[in-house]
Amino acid sequence: MKRILALVLSVAMLFTLAIGISGCGGNEQTPASPDSSAPAQQTSSAPADTSTPAPEVSDDPNVKVLNLWSFTDEVPKMMDKYKEIYKQRTGQDFPYEIKTTIIATTDGAYQPALDQALASGGADAPDIYCVESAFVLKYTQGDAANYAAAYKDLGIDVDRLLKESEIAQYTVDIGTRPSDGKLVGLGYQATGGAFIYRRSIAKDVWGTDDPAVIKDKIGPGWEKFFQAAEEVKQKGYVMLSSDGDLWNPVRNAAEKPWIVDGKLYIDPAREAFFDYAKRLKDNGYSNDTTAWTDAWYADMKDAGPKKVFGFFGPAWLINYVMAGNSGGSKPGEGTYGDWAICEAPVGFFWGGTWVLANKDTKIPKTVGQIIEWITLDSSETGLQYFWANGTLEGPGGTKDTVASGAVMKKSDGKLDFLAGQNMFDVFVPAGEFARGDNMTQYDETINTYFTDQVREYVNGNKTKEQAIADFKQLVADNLDVIVE
Amino acid sequence: MRRESTLVGRTVSKTIKYIVCIFLAILSIMPFWIMMMNATRGTYEIQQNSISLLPSTYLISNFKVFEGKAFNPLVGFKNSLIIAGGATVLGIYFSCLTAYALVAYQWRLRQPFFTFIMAVLMIPAQVSGIGFYQFMYRIGWTNSYLPLILPAIAAPAMVFFMRQYLLGALSIDIVNSARIDGANEFYIFNRIVLPIMKPAMATQAIFAFVGSWNNLFMPMILLTDKAKYTMPIMVSLLRGDIYKTEYGAIYLGLTLTVLPLFIVYFALSKYIIAGVALGSMKE
Amino acid sequence: MGPKKLKSVSYAKYGYIFSIPFVLAFLIFTAYPIFYTAVIGFTDLKGLGKTDFKFLENPLQNFEAVWKNPSFQKSLENTAIIWICNFIPQILLALLLTAWFTNQRQKLRCQGAFKVLFYMPNIITAATIAILFNSLFGYPLGPVNDLFQMLGIADGPTEFLRDKWTAKGIISFIQFWMWYGQTMIVLIAGVLGINPALFEAAEIDGATSRQVFFHITLPSLRTIMLFTLVTSLIGGMQMFDIPKLFLNGGPDSATLTVSVFIYNQAFSGSYLYNRAAAACMILFVIIAILSGILFYLLRDKDAGKLKKQMRELKKAQKAARRAEA
Repeated sequence: MKRILALVLSVAMLFTLAIGISGCGGNEQTPASPDSSAPAQQTSSAPADTSTPAPEVSDDPNVKVLNLWSFTDEVPKMMDKYKEIYKQRTGQDFPYEIKTTIIATTDGAYQPALDQALASGGADAPDIYCVESAFVLKYTQGDAANYAAAYKDLGIDVDRLLKESEIAQYTVDIGTRPSDGKLVGLGYQATGGAFIYRRSIAKDVWGTDDPAVIKDKIGPGWEKFFQAAEEVKQKGYVMLSSDGDLWNPVRNAAEKPWIVDGKLYIDPAREAFFDYAKRLKDNGYSNDTTAWTDAWYADMKDAGPKKVFGFFGPAWLINYVMAGNSGGSKPGEGTYGDWAICEAPVGFFWGGTWVLANKDTKIPKTVGQIIEWITLDSSETGLQYFWANGTLEGPGGTKDTVASGAVMKKSDGKLDFLAGQNMFDVFVPAGEFARGDNMTQYDETINTYFTDQVREYVNGNKTKEQAIADFKQLVADNLDVIVE
Repeated sequence: MRRESTLVGRTVSKTIKYIVCIFLAILSIMPFWIMMMNATRGTYEIQQNSISLLPSTYLISNFKVFEGKAFNPLVGFKNSLIIAGGATVLGIYFSCLTAYALVAYQWRLRQPFFTFIMAVLMIPAQVSGIGFYQFMYRIGWTNSYLPLILPAIAAPAMVFFMRQYLLGALSIDIVNSARIDGANEFYIFNRIVLPIMKPAMATQAIFAFVGSWNNLFMPMILLTDKAKYTMPIMVSLLRGDIYKTEYGAIYLGLTLTVLPLFIVYFALSKYIIAGVALGSMKE
Repeated sequence: MGPKKLKSVSYAKYGYIFSIPFVLAFLIFTAYPIFYTAVIGFTDLKGLGKTDFKFLENPLQNFEAVWKNPSFQKSLENTAIIWICNFIPQILLALLLTAWFTNQRQKLRCQGAFKVLFYMPNIITAATIAILFNSLFGYPLGPVNDLFQMLGIADGPTEFLRDKWTAKGIISFIQFWMWYGQTMIVLIAGVLGINPALFEAAEIDGATSRQVFFHITLPSLRTIMLFTLVTSLIGGMQMFDIPKLFLNGGPDSATLTVSVFIYNQAFSGSYLYNRAAAACMILFVIIAILSGILFYLLRDKDAGKLKKQMRELKKAQKAARRAEA
């Protein structure tokens, strides 16, 4: 009996092998992947190919469909406006059918599908695809960077437009491919971060809520920040809600990325987070919540154990998270209108979407025009003007910071939530302080391991040395990175 | 005297049983209740306090969130129904067929084949996951329901269950008398054996349908065409990115996703209540 | 066809014919991908979008790398702990409920409703359950914390989800709670299949409910218990959704299961497909060994019974043939 079973199984295996060989056949011409052992290194601070002008490009007239891949409906929705603008500008209907594919980033499903679509090519391959800050490096500088088209090869006059639109440097750094120094991706939203604080608490502690004064109380640098935390505590408040709030600016202030020459590197600025988080907890400077949990949201409307002085975040945190959780919708209700923003002790950015094009697109001209409209058009019919003023879907929408400083300078960023403060005044310089040259495509994973170990240390479960050793072990166990 | 004490003992034990059962029943209902209540609550209400036993007033506005998103419950229902229904029907039918082959016929490889099925049962899904997904891409079966339906034909656990049921429920005499009447083997299986298997089929259908309906990862990777999205994919899209998560709408979507499952479940639940008798090979 | 030709031999081919769909579907959708996975385990395939790979000089290099990987070892330990902590209470509760619901002397009211309700946690998706439990055990504010402080169990808020053991415990509980209903349904099905004559005989002998359960019901459930044990073991070794979605393997890898480890190898940044594949195969071998042990432990009597049953079946067929003739 056993022999028969063995026979059946071996026949089955042979059979599958046959399928395997015949199935593998036609798959040799996929683009060679870039060297994965060389993850994102520090990029040059500007695209290196400044001298060559953008070439003339043209579309394949046989192609009628434009494939757009995204993980939210944000960019697909912009296309409706683009068609409208296209008609205004050219007097003709937009000649392509836009086929959008939206796959949520939930459970990491977007990336495998996108990777496969890029690798397979063909008529259904994406022409334009969006990537999120958590995994943008993989597509602009890491394993998947070779699928991206240089903006210049799409006929975009990159050098002139970058200057004209005043695009924040960190976005350019992230969107520049190190292998050839070419720009392959830019965003439309600026995600430079500020310190968002409570006016009433500022008045109680320092007698003023003026951002210019508060800025100098909480920074620059973390020593001044902790001094301020002590003063805030004396009055019965806490400085922050969670240590996670502190991590975002600390993380972004590092000189060097997590991986240098293929080896794990713990930047002193990041290692210091062990001490900052410990100080925060031991001195009671925070409510000890976890970001994105009920207790954290509750702190935005004074529902926590102690009133929280501030949060670190970009404009989207104000618009999409804090405003709704402030317990009101107009000044006087809840904490709505009792907030202001000022420069953070260190510059940072958090989140954002980058727009890329497939180098094999058959319609580079059209793709280039769309990408230019989204990322580099600083005119009043460019996407970013609508986006900044909240008028993409008619007046009264949410105002947001945009990649182009030029657009923000001519837009109105006054928010009732900030008691009429013009948020662009702070967010434009904030974008300039942020750094995009200290990231790797592994950041999301490494950051999780790191903060998890910091919490172990802060909660007294481990010594700092043990936590660092365990962190290194986790990286070595799970990633293709040399750990010493 | 003794009778009285046993009577008391019985009442006490019965009360304990009821208390345990009611407690477990509450534990079962709770998440559904919270989910449905959250479907009527606003995103910020939920962020402030995710768990509430009372409804709120945002049901309509949660529905409105769907309008701007790729969320079309009717399309989602249809697609999920095709996949879950197809997988369930195929899985049940072919599991019965395989089980019948294992019980009703004497063939040389019967015992090795049963051992083989038990071995297949041990294969963890992840083992084939990576290969399966790349294979489907290579043969161009993306945006097709087939890779989500056809693998159900080989469902070892279901075959085992059906086999156990048949061992107890199938009388070879019925089969033989049908043969004498001139019925062919396929006819016998379809017309005589399948009806006998109804209770086991219903029980397994519930398990299979629920599993297939809630399956998210493989459909999400394979189905990229909006018109082909299943309900769980649509719900996961509502989650979008971290910047603005519409929790109220997500819970509403989850509630809508569960409704068809409830219908299927309760329609078939009489078999769960009545119970299925599995032959235990201990006759 | 003459009656003489109606021999069992002429039907044997239907055994093969009816098994073909299963075998085909298995070969295409399971065997081939597994084979593919197994092959990858011996290669240098890593990195995104790569399709060309070569076999390693040391074919077991990936297997060694995984086997010696501290995270993998921890994930094995975690998986075992979480599975045991979920399976033992699960099977005990399912047996208890089975005993209650199949007790002929003391019928509970609303039995049907209870049976239907107990399976319900399985209907809801893992993602939803993960979110709900995250909120339930929220810190410093959260329903469980509020309750504990109200009842005076704890003075201040407890950070449940940062403690390794409570985190493991909660995941075990979720698994237990999601699956005991299904286990109960299967066990009840097994009890209903026991020959009623056995129960009647016990009744006549004056056996108590307890005696009936331990001396008739339980021994007769051997096969079904084996099935439950093996399917639960396989499900438990593959546990992925809840540990991944609930705490993403944390805190400090306390809920990192083997499947989450495999996922991390393949998708958390380095695309180590070869190591993930090797880990898959190791997991498969572990499951096969454990299942083999279970089969062996619960084997002897069954095998005997099976042979007896086959004899009976043959006898019945002979009788049938005789009847035809």
